[in-house]
Amino acid sequence: MTSWPALLPLAILAAGALILLVFEAFLKSRNKAYQGYAALAFVVSSGAVLIVAWDRDWAFFRGSLRLDNFGILLGLILTAAAAFVVLLGLRYVPLAGSNIGEFYPLLLFALSGAVIMLTTTNLLVVFLGLEVLSVSSYALAGLRLHDEKSSEAALKYFLLGSFASAVFVFGLALSFGASKSFDISALFKNLRPGSGTEVLGLAGLAFLLAGLAFKMAVVPFHMWTPDVYQGAPTPVAAFFSVGPKAVGFAVLLRLTAPLLGEGLRDDALHGLLTVLAVLTLIVPNLAALRQTDIKRLLAYSSIAHAGYLLLAVLAGDPEKLVFYLIVYLFMNVGAFAAVTALCRKDEERNTIEDFAGLGFQSPWLGALFSVFLLSLAGFPPTAGFLAKFYVFSSAARAGLVPLVILAVLASLVSVYYYLKVVVVMYMRPAPRATETDVQSPALLLVLFLCLYGVLQLGVNPGALMHLIRRAVAVLL
Amino acid sequence: MPILSLLTFLPLAGALVLAFLPRRREVLLRGLALAVALIALGLSVGLYLSFESGTGGMQFVEHAPWLGSGIEYHLGVDGISLFLVMLAAFLVPVSMLASWRSVSSKVKEFLIFMLVLETGIIGVFLSLNVFLFYVFWEAMLIPMYFLIGVWGGARRVYATMKFVLYTMLGSLLMLVAMIILHGRTGTFNLLEYYRLAGSGDWLDPRLQVWLFLAFALAFAVKVPLFPLHTWLPDAHVEAPTAGSVILAAVLLKMGAYGFLRFALPLFPEAVSKFLPYLSALSLVGVVYGGLMALVQKDIKSLVAYSSVSHMGLVMLAVFALNFEGVQGAVFQMVNHGLSTGALFLVVGLLYERSHTRRISDYGGLSRQMPVLSAFFMIAVLSSAGLPGLNGFVGEILCLFGVFRAGTLLAVLAVSTVILAAAYLLGLFQKVMHGPISNPAVRTFKDLNLREVLVLLPIIVLMFWLGLRPGSVLRKTEASAALQVSRVTGRSSVLVSTPAPSPLKAGKFSPLPLIREKRPAEEKDADD
Repeated sequence: MTSWPALLPLAILAAGALILLVFEAFLKSRNKAYQGYAALAFVVSSGAVLIVAWDRDWAFFRGSLRLDNFGILLGLILTAAAAFVVLLGLRYVPLAGSNIGEFYPLLLFALSGAVIMLTTTNLLVVFLGLEVLSVSSYALAGLRLHDEKSSEAALKYFLLGSFASAVFVFGLALSFGASKSFDISALFKNLRPGSGTEVLGLAGLAFLLAGLAFKMAVVPFHMWTPDVYQGAPTPVAAFFSVGPKAVGFAVLLRLTAPLLGEGLRDDALHGLLTVLAVLTLIVPNLAALRQTDIKRLLAYSSIAHAGYLLLAVLAGDPEKLVFYLIVYLFMNVGAFAAVTALCRKDEERNTIEDFAGLGFQSPWLGALFSVFLLSLAGFPPTAGFLAKFYVFSSAARAGLVPLVILAVLASLVSVYYYLKVVVVMYMRPAPRATETDVQSPALLLVLFLCLYGVLQLGVNPGALMHLIRRAVAVLL
Repeated sequence: MPILSLLTFLPLAGALVLAFLPRRREVLLRGLALAVALIALGLSVGLYLSFESGTGGMQFVEHAPWLGSGIEYHLGVDGISLFLVMLAAFLVPVSMLASWRSVSSKVKEFLIFMLVLETGIIGVFLSLNVFLFYVFWEAMLIPMYFLIGVWGGARRVYATMKFVLYTMLGSLLMLVAMIILHGRTGTFNLLEYYRLAGSGDWLDPRLQVWLFLAFALAFAVKVPLFPLHTWLPDAHVEAPTAGSVILAAVLLKMGAYGFLRFALPLFPEAVSKFLPYLSALSLVGVVYGGLMALVQKDIKSLVAYSSVSHMGLVMLAVFALNFEGVQGAVFQMVNHGLSTGALFLVVGLLYERSHTRRISDYGGLSRQMPVLSAFFMIAVLSSAGLPGLNGFVGEILCLFGVFRAGTLLAVLAVSTVILAAAYLLGLFQKVMHGPISNPAVRTFKDLNLREVLVLLPIIVLMFWLGLRPGSVLRKTEASAALQVSRVTGRSSVLVSTPAPSPLKAGKFSPLPLIREKRPAEEKDADD
């Protein structure tokens, strides 16, 4: 069945990005705020179309673009992340100088790439979306032209990202060779023992996985993360920490959920994912202990959270994984919003020491940032605790008790480095009497929405869980 | 009226209101926080008065669905938790009043954290759903972390980090154990666990061992049992007075309470294996804490080590697993809360005047500060177990319980009394008597009205509990007997004791422990 509205979310985003680019070229306005509001309108209307599409299963291009509920829910997560980032941009862009006008169009392109990846079951289309997302991400990382770190981040991201894309294509080729089809469901059939092509299919799957692991920032494919987060503009880093990760896990779920559900527990795929999970739980948590830059710290933290997400994949529980992703969106974007709040004219203040005394200088900002950090560390009654608890319990139910113990020990280590930031905020005096920054309403909106998400989902996630359950029903 | 929910969340609501008040109106902030804490205290007294002493089951039960799959909102109170809740509700306003002057910066945040802490503590004692319990258990760490870290002494950051990480190490493993327990039973309902554990169709003994170890680690850190106690002297010494009081008087009880409520009754077969080791560790704690207290040069760390010693005795009594032991442990927990709370308050009052905690900087204070000296003396004697004061009743009950569990154990455990007398009276002598070595002492003023009001209620309670212990023991006995029968699987806990007539209310007797023989209540107030 073909219904053209399936194209609408993408069309809005792409058209919006192009319009903004043209405006940027011809309108010599110093104030880029209009771009922000326009971008926000495009993001929100694309999200509205996604909401309308719920339960309608619109498809286009012979089903290679299909708005199923799973894709819609994940797409909405990404849309929300992008909307938050646009709001952060409203504060950040005026501070960062004039060369950053392409910020909003690039963000819209990145979002459209993510939406493509989420709303298809055709691996070639997934690759198409991956490239749209990646290429705009490379440019976004390098937007701070006057800063060498930003250029380094862009280059590093570009080189490693291209490599990862190549690996993904290689995996695509192998799996096409095995199954003569780009469809994900065809891939499974060849993995069954006795099909004759299971080795080829498995090799293909492994390479696809490696390509995705780069996007999800899973150890050992995580090397780019801290450098890119540190160099990229802070709102962009916020997007990187949520967007590509959510997309990567969504595709991984589409790839593996049926496999893991079918009792293929002891096969090579399971072993591979276990190794990745173990590494991702250990390495970033230890590395984060020694960080002095808040963005690098949050980068390692985002890698560590990929470890918990992998645990959910291993447990074969897509419901809890999606819940974790949503919670992660709120707490992580909230944390990055607090970092953005500290930015000054032409100056990002990113070392942990910059936060000294913040807790009492700007009590609300300090309190909110602490809530996000405590949620990331998994303290109740925040949503971070509930998300971890759900993932741990489904992993334990799946018989992965040793992994769960490793994960709780990892989160014990993480408590140390998250609280280290709180220590600096509340237990060190401010180095000099700095004037308190006036915060933009857009930024405050992001902070309070994230706070609402973190608390609401921590205490009463019932309605959301119901939605998630309906969304993941598509997978099983 | 959902009195338990009200009691639990009233302080939190108060904290929310405080958050929106201007920080410059300090008197308003303090007054409001104190009023909220006093209302909570009033509620807890109301709870006490309407508490029925005849039954050992849960009372005032509130039960509502929450997140599904066994996670429910389930509160209830029995004789064991009743007094711990009251202790918390009593000490929070007292320590707020005590911090009226000593906490002069960031008052708003201080009061907010105190109130949030109260909600966490009361929630821990009232939760009947293991998940809910864990939420409160962990959430309570956050305000305590800030109280030590922001208003503490010189090494406060180190101390507070150590406190949080130690506690979390234990509690995260307990979380895993809870998840596994839930996987086996499909519920987090504690009363349901009790029923299943009593029905014979319970967990495989090998699994019980692992789960018990995870629970025991979490609670042993909190108590703290030797050798997991090292966070305690640091945290106590560095915390502000209010923090030390709450920490010593209430937070440590959460460990003992956790053993009584969760670790022991849920895993009876594992308990029988580990009981000797746990008793041995408690005994080592008793002696080690006492010896360490003898050689401390800092008043606060002396009191901190005395806590290790006293809590060791409480744990010995809990692990004795008989009626007297549990009765004594609950009573002694209240006592220790009062006497150690009073000692920390006295140290705080001294510190406000002298800004030193070294024992050698004091001497001869009694002439300068007769009122403080008298209060200090009573607190010291209560802690050392002088008959007529509360400490004696608790200690003798604990020792009776321990004696029934093992004679040698009791003989060694008595050393706690001797050691306590030695280090506490030594402390009193060095601080209050002798010549004035430090000229600054001559300028010290005696207690003002507010400071008297801080200490007086505690002193009154010490006498009250010493002379009329029945007012506590009557309410705890049924619950204590029931809880013991849950652990040992025998309902006839009291059979081996001779059974004279029950104590008449109001008549003083050091032996309120022995009651008439009657079958312990099997019926549980499970709803």
